[in-house]
Amino acid sequence: MALDIKPTRSELINLKRRIKQTQNGYNLLKLKRDGLFYEFRILLSEMIEAKQALVNTFIEAKQAINLASSIEGGLAVKSAAIAIAQSPEVEVSRHNIMGVVVPKVEGRYLSQTLEERGLGLIGGSPYLDEAADSYGTLIESIVKAAEMESTLKRLLVEIEATKRRVNALEFKVIPEMQEAQSFIQLRLEEMEREETFRLKRFKNK
Amino acid sequence: MEIAVVGTQSFTLGFQLAGVTRILNPPNEEEMQQDLRQLLNDKEVGIVVIDAADLLKMPDRLRIQLSDSISPTFLGIGTEQDNTLREQIKSAIGVDLWK
Repeated sequence: MALDIKPTRSELINLKRRIKQTQNGYNLLKLKRDGLFYEFRILLSEMIEAKQALVNTFIEAKQAINLASSIEGGLAVKSAAIAIAQSPEVEVSRHNIMGVVVPKVEGRYLSQTLEERGLGLIGGSPYLDEAADSYGTLIESIVKAAEMESTLKRLLVEIEATKRRVNALEFKVIPEMQEAQSFIQLRLEEMEREETFRLKRFKNK
Repeated sequence: MEIAVVGTQSFTLGFQLAGVTRILNPPNEEEMQQDLRQLLNDKEVGIVVIDAADLLKMPDRLRIQLSDSISPTFLGIGTEQDNTLREQIKSAIGVDLWK
């Protein structure tokens, strides 16, 4: 590799300082990568459980709506669905995990009571209420899983980027700087030897 | 922000019963792709729920866009677990940690 550096003492001092700074940065990035990975592992185990719970809740909710449809009739379920007064809402705020901004999702009116639903006692039926309750629980699980999923995705992106930076510093930037440092040191030593030799010859004349 | 549900009528009916108003029932795959692309840029929607089976039918490029999107977050649900996140973890970390 051709080194485009001036073999001077000041360049050597600068390079030594830069190597020290880069090594500090490398150590900090390694700590950040490990920290992110630790957070990621904790969240991942929660996410695996949440996903499994989501599948189970979905199956239960599907059974409840199928039962309601078969007993009350599809039309009754559809008209009840149209009559629902309150709709669920989500609020997305942001919080910070080791410099990574992740969303925090909070839901409102996710599962509703009989009065909130607005169907009334005569308009509804126990099967419809059961189905609406099951889907309310499902939406709660969805909100939880969605928050975790987007957090995990952001952490993954950051882990990947930090990993690349750490590898680039470890295998490319620092070795190149060290190579340049040893090149300057060798060149300076050689210049010193040349100077001594020149002085000796001058003295002999 | 709202919750949106995309899928067949039998998939969305329960969500409608739970009060979700942003319901999309595209009649075919092309329209579903169009609806999902529109939802990707919708600032009023926080979460998009979609049938995992329908999500698998989408073109790879769109699926990657959906899984990368954070606001709104697209969540595929179904009787089988959706493996998109698992694949993402495998490609980013190099090890299958989903165990």
